[in-house]
Amino acid sequence: MNPIRDAWQSIFRRDPLSTDKGKSELVFLNVWLHIHPAKVKKENLKVKHTFYLGFITFYLFLILVTTGVALMFYYRPYPPQAYQDMKDLEYVVYLGTFLRNMHRWAAHGMVICVFLHMCRVFYTGSYKRPRQFNWVIGVVLFLLTLGLSFTGYLLPWDQLAFWAITVGTNIGSYAPLVGGRIRELLLGGHSVGQSALLRFYVLHVALLPSAMILLIMVHFWRVRKDGGLSRPVWKLKAESSAKLVSIGAPAEPAFRVVPASQDKTYGLMEVVTGKPTFETVTAEEEEDTVFSYPYAFFREAIALVATVISVMAVSLFWNAPLEEMANPAKTPNPAKAPWYFLGLQELVSHSALVGGVVVPALAVLALVAIPYLDPNPSRRPADRKWAIRAFAVFALVNVVLIVIGTLFRGPGWALVPPWVHIAGAE
Amino acid sequence: MNRRTFLNWGTAGIAALCSGIAVSLAAVVRFLTPSVFYEPPQMFKIGNAADFSFGPPTFLAEEKIFVFHNRETGFAVASAVCTHLGCTVGYFQTDGRFHCPCHGSVFGADGAVAHGPAPRPLEWFEVTLARDGQLSVDKDRVVPAAYRLLV
Amino acid sequence: MPHLFFALSLIALALMLAVVWQASAPAWKTYQREFHRLESVGEPNALAQNAMLTTPLDIRQVLLPGLQRVDRCTTCHLGVEDPTMKNAPQPFTFHANLAPHVPAKFGCTVCHGGQGLATGERGAHGRVQFWQEPLLPKEYIRASCGRCHKEGEVPGVPELAEGRRLFETQGCRGCHKLNGVGGSIGPDLTEEGAVRRFPEWLARHFLDPNAVSKSSPMPNFHFTKEQARALTFYMLSLTSEQMGTYYSSVRLIPSAGYGRQLFVEKNCIACHSIGGVGSKSGPDLLGVTKQHSSGWLDEQLVNPQLVYPGSSMPEYDLETNARKAIVTFMALATAEDARSILSRRARPLTAQEAAIEAGKQNFARFGCVGCHGIQLQGGVPNPNSQGGEVPSLLHASDDYTKQEVIKIIQNGKAPPVENPKKPVPPLYMPSWKNVLSEEDINRVADYLWSLQKKRDAW
Repeated sequence: MNPIRDAWQSIFRRDPLSTDKGKSELVFLNVWLHIHPAKVKKENLKVKHTFYLGFITFYLFLILVTTGVALMFYYRPYPPQAYQDMKDLEYVVYLGTFLRNMHRWAAHGMVICVFLHMCRVFYTGSYKRPRQFNWVIGVVLFLLTLGLSFTGYLLPWDQLAFWAITVGTNIGSYAPLVGGRIRELLLGGHSVGQSALLRFYVLHVALLPSAMILLIMVHFWRVRKDGGLSRPVWKLKAESSAKLVSIGAPAEPAFRVVPASQDKTYGLMEVVTGKPTFETVTAEEEEDTVFSYPYAFFREAIALVATVISVMAVSLFWNAPLEEMANPAKTPNPAKAPWYFLGLQELVSHSALVGGVVVPALAVLALVAIPYLDPNPSRRPADRKWAIRAFAVFALVNVVLIVIGTLFRGPGWALVPPWVHIAGAE
Repeated sequence: MNRRTFLNWGTAGIAALCSGIAVSLAAVVRFLTPSVFYEPPQMFKIGNAADFSFGPPTFLAEEKIFVFHNRETGFAVASAVCTHLGCTVGYFQTDGRFHCPCHGSVFGADGAVAHGPAPRPLEWFEVTLARDGQLSVDKDRVVPAAYRLLV
Repeated sequence: MPHLFFALSLIALALMLAVVWQASAPAWKTYQREFHRLESVGEPNALAQNAMLTTPLDIRQVLLPGLQRVDRCTTCHLGVEDPTMKNAPQPFTFHANLAPHVPAKFGCTVCHGGQGLATGERGAHGRVQFWQEPLLPKEYIRASCGRCHKEGEVPGVPELAEGRRLFETQGCRGCHKLNGVGGSIGPDLTEEGAVRRFPEWLARHFLDPNAVSKSSPMPNFHFTKEQARALTFYMLSLTSEQMGTYYSSVRLIPSAGYGRQLFVEKNCIACHSIGGVGSKSGPDLLGVTKQHSSGWLDEQLVNPQLVYPGSSMPEYDLETNARKAIVTFMALATAEDARSILSRRARPLTAQEAAIEAGKQNFARFGCVGCHGIQLQGGVPNPNSQGGEVPSLLHASDDYTKQEVIKIIQNGKAPPVENPKKPVPPLYMPSWKNVLSEEDINRVADYLWSLQKKRDAW
């Protein structure tokens, strides 16, 4: 009995990684990793299919949590000290500027990547049954991302922050019946002040991240239970693709029973045994699977390191902005919301109720309803041309509205060409 | 890949990983160490030599120190913070000793514990002459009780 | 796959090291090392020199909660209190004449401006976007004295008192509010020193307002360069400093000049004499500081009854430094001072004369001269009003009765418009009934009427 070996094995209980058993056990005996299947299909790993956007968004979230907690050691959410602490982070705290930059650029990156991830999921039809509700959870995660970005925007307490949030909360107040109340609850007062800062801080560091983490867990769990990451099933061999492409087609019963493979049964805590009701791995597809370790893990690790490198590189060269301290008496002209809400502000400038409330509400409802309204069972892009075109237009309109709001709107919200003034608050 | 390649890459990889972890840990600790303190400074000026009378020490309440000025031997600065649990001691001319009001510790004229629960003698701080002629006390530098600054 | 991962990890490690390297070499460390080197030259022996060279490098900070500031200037400006650095190059040069404004109690930025929180040169000198208080040029630094020392005079800075005098007599309040009193045509100047600390702009503005403020209706007052400078000083001092108790207690400068001002204000000459000149009711004050200690004199000012029960000397509610100032003045007051104080006092005026004089004071104090001119000549441009300029008041009696004029002063008047299609004239007569009492307005009318040019007899 080797005591060192014993001690080691008391912590790391799996077989060596050189064995198949060891590779499997790395996944299903490890609490952090067992969200993965022991084996994945090769198509699950295709970069050009998912671009790993979901992973990248999640990694950006992890970067945000880490840098965010670090920044919390030096930030006080009370009006005059908040700005002083931003200056301290810039001048006195070791790595203060770098961490703040990481946090800001990762935040912008996350908003962009979560949007791109949504576009990708739509493009690959990965929201279709049985994954409809996961799409809804995804939409909620998207809104939470925007909420986290918005609440964090106020914390530096400079002119940019103060007026962006003033404009943002005023847009929200246009919602009928509840708009005024929501604004009052958010601000803890009639205008942005110390109550607003404290509430936004609590939302930003406690409430919204908790909600985010919980929903991310559900989101990942559902992906796993629904058969793993999205893969381009329409590219498989004809017969199996025909079977898999039309999962849950209306002409067939709600749960299509696939003949189980002879070698596999599923047990559930020795209470229920039974045959699978969704996809199973058929004997043919067995050849297309590989162990998660090392294939999936290295790819995910590469995505992680690449994300971290990108954020670090940007943070080394570009500084997050800090304008003069918030001054309620001095409104910059124009006063602009954060960039991801500039499309909204552009709509509001045309009509407060229709532009600011009706259109965005309808847009969110439409997004949520997509998986339930979509009659087309096929995931192949060629079969879904009009759906893809419609969504592309939706994405493009969003981008264009934001571009207009950022680059083409000057003092008084007048249209000016982008080379005439600098985008954003003066 | 064969075993040699794997071992070479693997060792290099682990070395890189360990140095990465070490750098990160060092950076984290340095990050959490404050560079500036939002407190009164540890090193400060107390005035000119002529401002301090001979005989019983001058007590500076805000800085919590006693300034001794002896005609022959010069200046010495003692901490007024009891080493037991941190109360401010008082100097009594009747017996020339420091008495702590909280738990009854008594320190002699050199700071040594005469009796009471205090575990260590009172600290003496370095006092130097700054370039502009003022006395400068540094609470970060503790000196033996016999230290004197002759001005 | 592992190769790519390994390569990327190396890049990540390299970036981490780049970040750490960048963070460990700020400019202030170089300056501190250089300063320690300079200091070590003056040390007597090798041991002391070594101790100096190995002093740890850290950010130095002066915490000023009473002034709501944090100043980190001494991180680089290490020689400000070291007389041996008199000839050292900046940023190590010795700062002469610091007392009593020692850095430990006052920091640097309250006088010099700049961004105390910063530790880099550009940021600290405040010449960056989004910092409203850049370093003041040398010739304007003394304007900062007025940020705290608002009453009385500041010895060595006559520009502040002159600026204040010009402000009160040239009619600025007609268009600008200061501390709640004044007109609303121009911006409120109560915090001007806090929002616009750009002396070059201010000086140019006073010499020619329209050169820096394109469409401003402010007329050109044709100030001389010295007057513009004095006004600039005064503007720079208009801040509302949050001061802890220590600072408010030492704010008043106990100078002899301030003491003389108080002596006149409190009308001490009404009861006392100096060297025989003055009133005989109270004791003569010549040489009083030689007869009594300053503590005794101070007590006398606080509580006259204590020393002389039954004395008719009133109790003046004076701050510590105000009393000190009076005592300082007493040390040098002579009969000559008493004579000059007496001669400046106005001879008794008739009720009529008093009313007109009061009206004249009001006319200047509340800024009427700003638009109507010191000689009531008018002439300030007012585009698109009939006549194109602010009217002269010398012929007011031709067009209005005295009652009508009083009504206009009370309620205000918009000037008749020349061309309704063009923009409204920027200057107008404001309403004064909420600012001036009825009596005051009557006095102004009396003053105006005393100056009316008599109509030529036909």
